[in-house]
Amino acid sequence: MADSNEYTTTIGPDAVFKGELEFAKGVRLLGKFEGQINSEGELEVAEGAQLKGDVKAASVRIDGKVKGNMQVSSRVQLSASARLEGDLQTTRLEVAEGAVLIGRCMVGVNGDAKKAAEVKSAVKGTGGIAIGKARAGEPAVVGAKK
Amino acid sequence: MPVARAKRVGAVKTVRCTYCGKATQAARRAMSIFCPHCKKRLILEDYKITGYYAVREFFTCGKVVVEKKGHVVAPVKATTLTVKGKVQGSVVARGQVKLTKTGSLTGDIEALSLKVENGAELDAFLRIGASPPDTTSSD
Repeated sequence: MADSNEYTTTIGPDAVFKGELEFAKGVRLLGKFEGQINSEGELEVAEGAQLKGDVKAASVRIDGKVKGNMQVSSRVQLSASARLEGDLQTTRLEVAEGAVLIGRCMVGVNGDAKKAAEVKSAVKGTGGIAIGKARAGEPAVVGAKK
Repeated sequence: MPVARAKRVGAVKTVRCTYCGKATQAARRAMSIFCPHCKKRLILEDYKITGYYAVREFFTCGKVVVEKKGHVVAPVKATTLTVKGKVQGSVVARGQVKLTKTGSLTGDIEALSLKVENGAELDAFLRIGASPPDTTSSD
């Protein structure tokens, strides 16, 4: 994640921005933003900040509130104070305890139809089922091995 | 004269019914109990899934680990869930749901927190931290 010094653009806490935003390196949002964000850089939604709209970025860190769909190529990080409502597509996701995330999420699948089909077709496979009884204090082992 | 037995510290734990959500006391070493409120059987064991496991429902008040070769096709309710293999079905966890780099999950997730490692696959409707699901609690 980018250091605070790496963000070349900052939208201040008293700023309200409406429209489309494009940037190359990184943006730190401290105020309110309504619209679309298209970028190959990093986005940080700081605590107290609000973002409404769709986001396309390389990596996103959320400490504030976000309402909208997100398409992130590398990593999404939600801290304890974060709230995200919307659909999410990314390769890596981290949600801290206390964060709120409501929406459909695709991680790693990347909308690839082939991969999704592989996961679905796996249901058809059958295997032996054996249930092993656990001793007290040990987890019960359930599986095909006898 | 009858001798009063002192209760061992930590001999009991509080568990929450996976069906009605009400709390009850159970012996720490107990593997299952009947819920005094809804009379349904509650499993308190921890599970490690190492193969294909398809059931109508997979509810436990313990922890569940789906190993690399594990493949669960069922709705899962547990305290925490760690997925190294595959899970297909809705998941309700009171604690953390963790997908390691080899893990894959398709379905819905309702949990307190979520961790998805690089390489894991997740295709689900998420409800994380919105309202604490009533599954189980231990002290």
